[in-house]
Amino acid sequence: MAKLIMFHGRECPHCRAMHPIVDKLEKDAGIAFERLEVWHDEKNAELMRSYKPVIVAKCGGQLRVPTFLNADTKDAVCGEMPYEKLKEWASK
Amino acid sequence: MKKFWRCFVCNDIHYGLKPPEVCPTCLVKHAYVEISAREAKTIIGNEGGSEFDREDFARAIERFMAGNEFKVNPDRERVNLLLTGILDNARNHGLKYCPCRLMSKDFAEDLKIVCPCNFLIHETYRGQDKGECWCGLFIKRQ
Repeated sequence: MAKLIMFHGRECPHCRAMHPIVDKLEKDAGIAFERLEVWHDEKNAELMRSYKPVIVAKCGGQLRVPTFLNADTKDAVCGEMPYEKLKEWASK
Repeated sequence: MKKFWRCFVCNDIHYGLKPPEVCPTCLVKHAYVEISAREAKTIIGNEGGSEFDREDFARAIERFMAGNEFKVNPDRERVNLLLTGILDNARNHGLKYCPCRLMSKDFAEDLKIVCPCNFLIHETYRGQDKGECWCGLFIKRQ
């Protein structure tokens, strides 16, 4: 199973909106994300920065949250999105 | 490279490539002289001081949007969450960084994500009828 990570911020409204969608993906499709908060945990922040070239290429040239990362394929997508779109990306 | 400038009439300080032609405070033309960073910091005060609290910052952004094509998002719950994150970041990380981005740890690069950021150039705002900054604090007036 691919290693999927959701980088998120505690006070980011887009991230808050995505948590129930990620919950649903886990429950209905068995697709699990490791959720890492980045503004209040420096280790998580450093991990996200380590993927900077991958993330900025897919996210408007910046480190943005929420970012969904496939650590195996080094693919990333960011922002708030509908369930089906995240499921399609996660299933690739 | 950006430099510091002082108005020789009223001691306004400016930081930039060029000074204002007219001082915005005393309205005198050609009033700025280049000064050192040390002099600028001495005039401004080197002691740090406290960051804005929630009310200060809320007032600042209300005044900021008054002359612009955008406004603060009317969703109060969203705005309150964002203000909490912005001020937490100021306290914990030194500047009012956007809670929906992450510092790269390159100081010059990270100035681009201090709130308010230059969201006018972002794809979430530019050319969008219902444009907004990345976190949604500012939205285009309809």
